[in-house]
Parts: sequence; structure tokens; C-alpha cells
Amino acid sequence: MAVPSHEVSSADVRTHPSTFSCGQCGASLEFSGVRTQTCPYCTSPNFVERPPSANRPHPQFVLTFTGDGNVAKRALDRWLRTRSVFADGRLKHARVADLRGIYVPGYLYSAVAHTEYTAQIGEHYTETYTERDSDGKLVTKTRDVTRTEYRPLSGSHVGYVADIVVSASVGLSDAELAKIEPFEFLAMRRYAPALVSGWITEEWARRLDDCTRASRSKTVDEIGQRLRRFMPGDSHSDLVWRTRVDWESIDPILVPVWVLAVRYRPDKPALRVVINGQTGKVSGPTPYATWKIVLAMLVLVATAGLLVWLGNR
Amino acid sequence: MTACDRCASPLEEGDLRCAVCALPVPVAAAPRDGTPRAQVLRCTECNAAVAFDTRVQAPLCGFCGATMTIEHPVDPIEVAELRIPFAVPRETAVLAVRGWLGRRGWFAPRALRHEAIIDSLTPLCWAGWIVDAHAQVAWTADSDLDARRSAWAPYAGKLALRFDNLCVPASRGLDHGECAALVPFYDLRRAVPVGSTIDGEEPAMIESFDAQRSAARAIVQRRIEAVARAKVEPVIPGRKFRNVHVACMLERQTTQRVALPAWVLVYRYRGSPYRAIVHGQRAEVVFGSSPTDWIKIAKLVGGILAICAIVAAILLASGAE
Repeated sequence: MAVPSHEVSSADVRTHPSTFSCGQCGASLEFSGVRTQTCPYCTSPNFVERPPSANRPHPQFVLTFTGDGNVAKRALDRWLRTRSVFADGRLKHARVADLRGIYVPGYLYSAVAHTEYTAQIGEHYTETYTERDSDGKLVTKTRDVTRTEYRPLSGSHVGYVADIVVSASVGLSDAELAKIEPFEFLAMRRYAPALVSGWITEEWARRLDDCTRASRSKTVDEIGQRLRRFMPGDSHSDLVWRTRVDWESIDPILVPVWVLAVRYRPDKPALRVVINGQTGKVSGPTPYATWKIVLAMLVLVATAGLLVWLGNR
Repeated sequence: MTACDRCASPLEEGDLRCAVCALPVPVAAAPRDGTPRAQVLRCTECNAAVAFDTRVQAPLCGFCGATMTIEHPVDPIEVAELRIPFAVPRETAVLAVRGWLGRRGWFAPRALRHEAIIDSLTPLCWAGWIVDAHAQVAWTADSDLDARRSAWAPYAGKLALRFDNLCVPASRGLDHGECAALVPFYDLRRAVPVGSTIDGEEPAMIESFDAQRSAARAIVQRRIEAVARAKVEPVIPGRKFRNVHVACMLERQTTQRVALPAWVLVYRYRGSPYRAIVHGQRAEVVFGSSPTDWIKIAKLVGGILAICAIVAAILLASGAE
């Protein structure tokens, strides 16, 4: 039984203007793809509350930013300092450009998951064998080698799945959002314009049914992780599961994300880095220095060659 | 109090989602003006435009410094709603401890019952959650039944469980073992609202929960899973088992915050302090720590060694002959 707490019908689909007058000075403001806009003339933070439509719902929940831009920069500095030794050295002295705090639209999904699974469960045992000793006598020895006996297992698993978030943004993909998860839902609040005033708040750009499908896919992955912890035995293989979800709920939520550009070389494009606005978790690409990798491989080959040469001598 | 549509567990004031199954609590949609327009959030003091400030977690006016009052996430400290009255008066508790001291066994000092000096006897209502719930539980385990080359074979199953009056301790004053020893003897039907007074009852200290609602729910959840694991164990076939895993789907979970009575007694024997607990409703339930008579133990060990030496000497002598 499905319980969508966000219910809209196609009859709600209407078109609305995207240009409005600033609530303070009356200047014309473009609200294309966003719910908030700062007036360039009077710097007043404006917001627009449009009637909900099928694919532009009214937000139900919001997770607010826990720190300002300086907090995000400190998180970025820590991240830059802890990159791989093969990363481009100039990354540590990179300049931050265009730091923006954005409320990214998404959907918060929960459901009841019923799963049927099959797997091969590995149970370890110690192999015992007999052999003849140097005098030709038959002796029994216990070899300290672990063998695994695989036995089939099938069963069911039940549970609630909660805290599944999918991005409904054009600017931030699901994969990018997943890299800066988790969010702390204990701090979640019911949406009010006061919570996002003065911040960039993107409008929902992805279809609800598309996000529902993505949520179900994440649910199946989440169940897979649970099943791997749920399996008995010493190991398992061939785990296959089939999940049926019911009592689904999917609610529009705004999550806080810092988006910034990191420029580490003038001849290279800036790197796009995203930071979780609640926890400070950072994600972004790491450019590697080719010469470091080549040098490391040469050292590795030279060391291996030296060891072989010493071994032959 | 309303119940969650999905799992039928009661919702508490301030909950945005059900604490058990995470289904969002629906709210009536506020009527909206049909014509969208750009709006500015204004300071209630000076009427300037304001923006959300992360330092105060609320809209802050940059001109006059005023902060707008907005709804904050609700996560209050847990407070007891019910308490179970004391049925054991102070005098009975003292007599119960004296009797218990006299029954401490051969290794306790003989004079313990008479020489123990009671330092303090405090009526304490310790904090605990009383949980009722239904659950669908799936389990997996290894059992020795039908084992082949390995000593273990995998098994899985599913069953419906019911948790009635499951007591989850939240006390910092009593340890988990002490709480577990007290819990089976409480008559929970006698619970009264925490503020009510009963004639002749000595005022007791009511322990605070020292946990926020969110932390409390996590503690209760872990306890339910531990109890479910224990309840599943008799169902596992075979004589031996290991690697027991459970997955619980809880329904109709109710949690009451209860203060449970106990007398906490500190007594002193020859300068050293010891602690004993008397159940607040059943005087015969007494436990705690007590001194050991090391001279008796030394004499016993010496006696055993002497007997061993005599036996060894006899055996050696008979062997020599």
C-alpha cells in the first residue's frame, strides 16, 4: 500500500512567470530555476512561493547550514591537505573561487522493505589428512589450513528503510550528492521561507516518478548492505535478493551544499568541489601529477629488479 | 496523541517523523495566495530585510541585530511520566539488609551483621523506559544441526514477537546488572503519575534520564534488538549455535518513561564502604557487595594444603615400603 505524503496531480501543472519585482525596491528579478534571489540594487533577500505543481512541489523539510563560508573553507583546506601523495602539488596552494551555499532540492524517501534472498554460506573447517613420515609410518596430522564448505541458504528479511535522499537538482547529480552523505536528519526542520532567506534555493528540476525510481534503486542497494551484515557463516557468495517495497513515502526536502570552484593551475580548468553544509564532508576530483606516478613506477621497477638481481647472486 | 499510519506507534509532540518507521507526520497545507510574488522577510524590530544566519540558526537582522523566532528541531531531555510507589518502608529496608548481611555465607565475616554501620539509606526512583511492541523478526544463524565437514550449517527463519513491559534502564546511578536484577520484581500495574503523592510515603529522589529523546530512541532500539536475539535463540534448531543476526520490524511500539523505586544503602564495615540495593516493592530482593574474611580463606587454603601434604606423605611412605 503506497502512502505518498506528497500528492500532486497533472491537473496542477501550470506555468508561472519567472520574473518578479523585488519586494523591497521593486527592481525586476529573474527567478529562473530558483526560489530565492538577492536583489542586485538593494541587496534584499527575496523569495517566491509558487503554488505547487506536479514536478515543482512545495518543500516539506529543510536541513539548514550549520556554518558560514569560513567553515566551508576550513573543511576544504583540510581536504586539500589530505590528498594523495600523487596529487598535483599545486593543489595545496589552490585558490577558492565562487563559494556558494545552495539549498539543493531533493526527495526524502522511506518505505517498508520485504526481501527474499538466496546465498551460498561459507562455513570454515580445518582439514585433517594422513601422510607417511620419513620412516614410512602412516601418521595423522592436522594441517592449519582453512577450507570453506558452502551451503545454500534462503530466507526473508524485513525492515523499514529511511533517510534515503535523492537529488532533484539540475546542478548536482545523485552521484555527487551521495559522495557527501550522510546528512543528520535529527536536525531536520519543517520548511519555512525564513530558513532559506538569503541563500540560493534551487527549484525542483527532476520529475517525481524519476526520483521515486532512483529512491527505490537506492533502497535495493541499502537492503543489499544490510543483507551482507545479516548473513551467517564465515563468508558468503552468490547473494541474490528480491525486494518488494510498500508504504512508501517521498517528501520534498532541501539539503545544504556548498559548491565552489578550486583553481590550482592557470592553464587548467577549475575543479568543482562540493561540501556537505551540515557535516563539512568534502567531495571533488583530485588531479594527479603524471611525473609523480611515472617516478613511482620507475622506483618500483628498479627496486624489483635490484631484488631479483640480488636473489640471483 | 495520534498514531503513525504506517506502524501504529504513537507520535509525540514535535515529531516531524515517526521515531520507529520514519514516516513523515502530515501537516495541513497552509492556504496560499494564488498569485506568486517576490517577498522579503522583514525584521520584526526595524523592518529591514533579513537573511538566515548560520551562527544563530535563525534569520538575523544585519542592521539592528534582532533574531527572528522560528521553529527549532525538537529533541528534549527525557522526563519521567510515571512512577511506581514505594511499598517497602525505611525500617523494613534496614531489616532486609541486616538479614541479607547475616546470610552472606561462610566467606563473609561472622560479625558482619552486627558490626556493619549503615552510613546512608536513600530512597531512589531510578529512570527506565517501559516498552511494549510487536515485531516481525527475521533471523539467521549457524547451528550444529545437519553439519557436514564444517561444524556449522546455516539456518534462517522468521517469527512474530511481542514485547510486553520490556524495561530498558536509563539509570546512571545503578549499573545495568543492578537494574536487570530489580526489573523482574516490579508490579508495573501500580504506576501513578510522577507528580502524585501517596500518604505516608517517604519523598524519594527521582533520577533524571540524562538522555535526549533521539538518544533514548536509539538506546531502546538496541535493547529491543538484543532481547529479540535472545528470544530467537530457542527457535534455532540444534544444540549449539553462533552468529545470530536479527532484523526487526517494529509495530505499535509504545514507550513510557517510568521512575522505579529502590533503596540504595551504603554501609561501612571496619572502615571500608559497601553498597546494597533493596527493591522498592519487594523487601526480599536484596543484593550488593559485602566484605570477604581473608583470614578464613587463608585458613581454608592452609587446611587444604596440609591435607594434600599429609596424603602425599602417606603415598610416598607407602611407595617406599
